Amino acid sequence: MSEQMMSMQQALNRALADTLRNDPTALILGEDVGTLGGVFRVTQGLAKEFGAERVFDTPLAESGILGLSVGLAMAGFHPIPEVQFDGFAYPAVNQIITQLGRMNYRSRGVFPMPVTLRVPSFGGIRAPEHHGESLEALFAHVPGLKVVSPADPQQAYSLLRYAAGLSDPVIFMEPKARYWQKAAVDMDTTQSPLGARIARPGKHVTLVAWGAMVARCLQVAELAAEDGIIVEVVDLRWLKPIDEATLTESVTRTRRAVVVHEGPRTAGLGAEVAALISEHCFDTLKAPVERVTGFDVPYPSGDLEDEYIPNIDRILFGIQRVLEHRRG
Amino acid sequence: MAEISFPLPDLGEGLIDATILEWLVAPGDQVERNQPMVEVETTKSALELPSPQAGRVVRTYGEPGQSIKVGEPLIIFSVPDDSAGIVGTVPMEEAPRRRVRLTARPDED
Repeated sequence: MSEQMMSMQQALNRALADTLRNDPTALILGEDVGTLGGVFRVTQGLAKEFGAERVFDTPLAESGILGLSVGLAMAGFHPIPEVQFDGFAYPAVNQIITQLGRMNYRSRGVFPMPVTLRVPSFGGIRAPEHHGESLEALFAHVPGLKVVSPADPQQAYSLLRYAAGLSDPVIFMEPKARYWQKAAVDMDTTQSPLGARIARPGKHVTLVAWGAMVARCLQVAELAAEDGIIVEVVDLRWLKPIDEATLTESVTRTRRAVVVHEGPRTAGLGAEVAALISEHCFDTLKAPVERVTGFDVPYPSGDLEDEYIPNIDRILFGIQRVLEHRRG
Repeated sequence: MAEISFPLPDLGEGLIDATILEWLVAPGDQVERNQPMVEVETTKSALELPSPQAGRVVRTYGEPGQSIKVGEPLIIFSVPDDSAGIVGTVPMEEAPRRRVRLTARPDED
């Protein structure tokens, strides 16, 4: 056991350093990841420690960052590119979908794509447009990609180490609203990085969340306990593939589920989660799966984001609705 | 703590300077992002500039009546080292607040 208190920024920095140390083919590239150390300081000190040939700044061209990563992967490297903000991934979507996601398939396994794309994601930091978007549904829909999001520093360290060791492309969505909060991280944890995790065991209803919404759901669980409702919180972690077994096991026990995410409601990942729960738990469910989500509008400016991101009261209302439901 | 200097931005199309009318913050003040910071007058209009970020005011430049050129320092903020880098602000850790009480009871069958 070697537990240390650290922020998610520091846990990610540590995971990147350990990856660069253990994997001589690993490279970090992106806008300002070198000299500056990233706008969120996640790559701070890495260029100095590992050299400008392994940790380097790119031009302001996300399509180029991903195109370069695909080429480097074909040449035997293990690129860990960063797209500085979620909304800046859009210019790279062509490379991500038409090359990164399918090169392994297209080449019948000759060119696997061990690319871990880090994307500071979701809202909550009062930033302008293109800095608060939720892209999980978009990327989960793309064949060939894996999608994962850590909820706390421990998950950040474990999941990034694991993702960076895979031979498949992974979209690694870092919840920027949770970059600064510190928690204990065990670098030698034996907890599996695979699948979902039960962040808080409960009894009456399952909240399903990922990224920054996990911490909010844990707060809701505390408040609901004051009212005698024992809430289970499932941190989905992997958004593609989704851990159907853990979801099914949880909801089979609680018989009610509310899925919470920041992204727009229509065709959001909550719809997939609700469909999976309905398929696997139809006979035991006491209420339709409830979704508490962002709205079907462009992500608003920082001054309005508290009205957009699911808040404690909206999640509590969602719980109330599944508790009140009675079969007709 | 780190110090961040904010220069007078171009307040119109090609304006080259602005005159300080009144400072609404003073050295030592803790300000929030978008808080009214200073009133200035250009050759086009008088207007109020909001603070570009949260932080403690270290120094302001220019007394009322004095002119400042676009691009010259207007104000210096002091911010914690662990504050957000270039974009956005660090979310405050607040005690959770609620208005909704759960009144429904799960039927235990």
